[in-house]
Amino acid sequence: MANGRTRAVSRRAGGGFSRALIVTGAAILAVVALAALAAPLISGWGPEEIDANATLAGPGGAHPLGTDTNGMDIWSRLLYAARLDLGVAVAAVALAVVAGTALGLLAGYLGGWVDDVLMRIVDIFQAFPTFILALAVAALLGNGTVNLVITIAAVNAPAYARLVRAEVRSIRELPFVDASITSGASTLGVLWRHVLPNSLTPVRVIAPLNCGWAMLTLAGLSFLGLGVTVPGAEWGAMISLGSPDVVAGRWWTSVPPGLALLVCVLGFSLLGEGLQERADRRRTS
Amino acid sequence: MRLLRFVARRLLQVVPVLLGVVVLTFVLVRVLPGDPIRTILGPNATEADAAAARARFGLDKPMWQQFLDYLKGLVTGDFGTSIQSGAPVGSELALRVGPTLELVVLAVGLALVVAVVLGVWSARRADRFGDHSVRILALVGNSMPEFWLGLVLILVGYSALGWFPAPSGRVDPDTDLTPLTGADLVDAILTANGPAFTSALSHLALPVATLAIVVVAPLLRSVRASALEVLRSEAYLAATTHGLRPRTLLRGYLLRPALVRLPALAALVFGTAIGSTVLIEYVYSWQGFGQWALRGLLYRDYPVVQASVLLIALGYVLVFLIADVVHAVLDPRVRI
Amino acid sequence: MSDLLSIEDLSVLIRRPGRDVAALSGVDLRVDAGEVVGLVGESGGGKSMVARAIVALLPGGAETGGAVRFEGADVLAMDEAALATHRGHGAALCFQNPRGALSPTRTVGRQLTDRLTTHQKLDREAARQLFEAVGIRNPARRLDAYPHELSGGMAQRVMISLATGCAPGLLVADEPTTGLDVTLTREILRQFRHAADTDGRGVLLISHDLASIASVCDRVAVLYAGTVVESGPAAKVLREPAHPYTRALLASVPDVSGRPARAIGGAMPLLSSPPAACPFAPRCAHATGECTASRPALAGDGWQYACFHPRSGPAAAAPPPAAEKRPATGRVVMEIDDAHVVYGSRFGSGGHHALRGVSLQVRAGETVGVVGESGCGKSTLARLMLGLAAPSSGTVRLAGTDPHAQRGRKLRRLRTKARLVFQDPVGSLSPRRTVADAIGEPLRALGVPAAERAERVAEVLARMHLDPTMLRRRPHELSGGQAQRVGIARALVGDPDLIVFDEPTSALDVTVQAQILDVIAELAGDASRGSVFISHDLATVRGFCDRVVVLYLGRIVEQGPVEEVFGNPRHPYTRALLSSAPSLDGGTAGGPQRAEPRVELAKDLDEADAATGCPLAARCPFVTDECRAQAQPLVAYGASEAACWRVPQIPALIREGAQTRA
Repeated sequence: MANGRTRAVSRRAGGGFSRALIVTGAAILAVVALAALAAPLISGWGPEEIDANATLAGPGGAHPLGTDTNGMDIWSRLLYAARLDLGVAVAAVALAVVAGTALGLLAGYLGGWVDDVLMRIVDIFQAFPTFILALAVAALLGNGTVNLVITIAAVNAPAYARLVRAEVRSIRELPFVDASITSGASTLGVLWRHVLPNSLTPVRVIAPLNCGWAMLTLAGLSFLGLGVTVPGAEWGAMISLGSPDVVAGRWWTSVPPGLALLVCVLGFSLLGEGLQERADRRRTS
Repeated sequence: MRLLRFVARRLLQVVPVLLGVVVLTFVLVRVLPGDPIRTILGPNATEADAAAARARFGLDKPMWQQFLDYLKGLVTGDFGTSIQSGAPVGSELALRVGPTLELVVLAVGLALVVAVVLGVWSARRADRFGDHSVRILALVGNSMPEFWLGLVLILVGYSALGWFPAPSGRVDPDTDLTPLTGADLVDAILTANGPAFTSALSHLALPVATLAIVVVAPLLRSVRASALEVLRSEAYLAATTHGLRPRTLLRGYLLRPALVRLPALAALVFGTAIGSTVLIEYVYSWQGFGQWALRGLLYRDYPVVQASVLLIALGYVLVFLIADVVHAVLDPRVRI
Repeated sequence: MSDLLSIEDLSVLIRRPGRDVAALSGVDLRVDAGEVVGLVGESGGGKSMVARAIVALLPGGAETGGAVRFEGADVLAMDEAALATHRGHGAALCFQNPRGALSPTRTVGRQLTDRLTTHQKLDREAARQLFEAVGIRNPARRLDAYPHELSGGMAQRVMISLATGCAPGLLVADEPTTGLDVTLTREILRQFRHAADTDGRGVLLISHDLASIASVCDRVAVLYAGTVVESGPAAKVLREPAHPYTRALLASVPDVSGRPARAIGGAMPLLSSPPAACPFAPRCAHATGECTASRPALAGDGWQYACFHPRSGPAAAAPPPAAEKRPATGRVVMEIDDAHVVYGSRFGSGGHHALRGVSLQVRAGETVGVVGESGCGKSTLARLMLGLAAPSSGTVRLAGTDPHAQRGRKLRRLRTKARLVFQDPVGSLSPRRTVADAIGEPLRALGVPAAERAERVAEVLARMHLDPTMLRRRPHELSGGQAQRVGIARALVGDPDLIVFDEPTSALDVTVQAQILDVIAELAGDASRGSVFISHDLATVRGFCDRVVVLYLGRIVEQGPVEEVFGNPRHPYTRALLSSAPSLDGGTAGGPQRAEPRVELAKDLDEADAATGCPLAARCPFVTDECRAQAQPLVAYGASEAACWRVPQIPALIREGAQTRA
């Protein structure tokens, strides 16, 4: 039986890449978040301010990244959009995690008919590709930031419920749960003190990846006109507005917002991948 | 025999899920805000016009009556009439599925091949430069907004280089392609129409590439992960220490155990691909199922929404069923 | 010299950012053709590293010194092409966990023919013969089996056939019998002896348990902290070891003859550089300044040891005079009456019948040992006593109350009266809770205020000889021995009426096992509490139990005072268990009646689940039609009870059997 401290050492060994992933991902996200907060300081225009003299102006001069068909400054909108995109994604995932975990915990620990009913509902949700589901829910709920958060959360919660349930069901069988029960702990005590903290391990890894996905979903919905609508500043909506220009070769209306989106989602992906690798290393060593 | 019983049992389990889907979509489209009649009639219509239109589509009946009619129709294969176009939903659907399947099947197939080759290659070089590059690329693919990627490809492939046709159709109309299945490439082969085949292929190139790039990323990551797991397993170590030939090792001891999980992954990715096609069809003006369903959703075209939701659920569930069967065939440990 | 394998001054240093590990430091080892050599030591001692070095498959970041010569060529200097033939055809490894080492998606027949065609240009027929040779019944059918369809013993045989299928000069087996029961262990070890004797292969047997492999070995080498501390003829090293570590290792294992385990303190160090002194010195009772100043070299001819102060004489001390076991008179703390437990039969039919009518009483001040092979129902019995499993019929009374008639707070309070010490010490502690939290949990349930809780936790921790700084640690920061002490502390803290020890040492290293057994023996003497000690190992139970219960397939087949059951076993199953238990004399004859011929059971059968008649009928050498037809109740024979009607005839039957064989 290797002693704990040496295992900690071997964990760090060879984990250079995962650390690089985590650090890079976190750095990207920090920069984006800072830029979003500092938007008024580093941009010359308001997000919905129209420069009537310059519609579809190319990059340079007063508009570093040019303007769109409405004469709004792309660079400013890019920065302000980060607020909305990041905010909605993180809020939606947080909501999904809380709701999904609660349901999964209940289903997994109680079992029986509670489990059956909850899991059949999850089945119905999971009978659809998530983006399709998001489309349908968004179309039904209508626009609005709060509605978008609810939409994206609702679409993701079932996956968390299933994940946590599976985790709970295997943790229930582990000796330390028996140990706690025979120590006279109450069901709620066992759940709260032992089952919940241990069942959240995979959630921690998946949540960042999921944030990235949530951003893509939000942008995709807006692109189709089901999310944020112009003049609201959101990357997907900006790409949508700029998409007709592409055939004419005008790149600056749609390429920059897409790039911003890509970089931001990549930040989450790097972070998630790094966490995943670290978790795997921990499990196997 | 056991396999058949397994399939039958799984199909039975599918029934309640589909029934739930049918009921839920039926109720939700009607309960939530939005009125299809108003959207087709326009702002100048009177109440009387609206009532007449409602009666025409049977929307004036009580909800349970509508539901029974709908169920009755479903059993006989009648999906109702589109409120927007007035055409039968079933025949519209038949026209739209082919083009989308063509896109999805080609992209997923391409992605599977690339993912397996690159994933195994990457796993065998774990934690070296090549592996790291592949993983970063996969992460970029994973983070890619597909609709934006489509635009960028159009920008480069059509606007700048002019190598590919404009994103406004699926085949050059001058080639006189006789539609049979709706999938132009297949139709061109079936009618031995050479020019149509090349035209369809060049129209397909960019959308398929777009979809394949987004789809390959998650597949690649999973293939790499399971190949790596096998490479680090004691079973592989044992085979190595017993000096087996590299070919035997690769085929019998690496690929087979690493790829048993591929069917389930492919099914999952198939779902993602269907979601992405809605966006990609929009970008490339691809007259497929996704565009059709999206329009139905936006205009609250009840029969269209119900039919497309049901079709997606059914397709998704069937794909998973097929994946499970393939998995059971590949993996002796699976009991069915 | 006709050395097949000769390891000369081998050192392996694994460089890792943060910390280096000196896995092996100057190891010398030799294996000749036709010879079985044992390599023994506790985990972390470097045994597996030796195996990996032999096939040049060292982990990343490993730096090597010295040489591994195989038929004269240095394996560590071989190129890829030479290695390809060396691996398998030169030296072939048998893995510790055979089921994990078999590829899950290929039939075992294919896996064997892969080896045969690579190294010998042989085909399926040869594979069938090889399966037959390692004792697989129905070999033709088994060839088409997948690894998950094999039992543990079968998988180990397949693994051996795979290794021998490469036609290696040297067969290396890493812990080939861990996890197998005694009968199978002997059978598997015989296969290795056979490989050496008939095929002239060299065999290197790696094990943590010297006593179990010594019988088949010609020579053994003992590894400690990456160094060979002693090597020599098996009989010599086993009976009169010279190195204090070898002696400690042997003394740590309790013996069926009743010799208790003697513990040495401390644990094996994990070195970051080759040791400059004797690595065992900090734990050694005979260490002097010399031992901590310089490292003794391996010296001697044939029998070598690395020690400045070698011991002499037999290692095993004579069994102490049996302590007078007083019949327990305390109050009854646990009473089970005719309990049946059936698992997983939701629809009335099928289901696994884990216990079939077990009755048991435990009094305060008494320690009851429960013994049986895996699958006999002993863990179910533990769960039953703790109220974790409900009896399908029959009653369980803990401190006079039926836990299954209680609910809510009352049930939770009652539960704290019986405590369980788990087999997996680390796994029984919640990974995200501190040690203080874990030990204090029963007190929390009893509503003890936080200040008093901390006090009592500290108290019980001291009793377990654990440092108070331990309280803030989490389970993954504990060693196995420490974790088990925490587990015992947690059981002890609420002053329970009953403690059930469910194989508390089987997951631990040998010298640590002895330490934990010491702790348990100390507690077992407590008059206010009853204890139940569950084990698959007879020897462990003998040390400190008052009574023994032998379980077989969910039934009690024999029970009685410990000296009586060991000294004068009645039931054929108990006799068989005793005669197959390994002992330090190199043989496996057990108990005081060494002279008495052994009782052997038929190999374990899949269908050995008799609903009527004696459960042992399918395996018993003395079976008659009456055994098959009649259920066997426990009948008193002298001081003990056995569930067998033929008990009075058995001694005669054994003598007859011995004569006909001779």
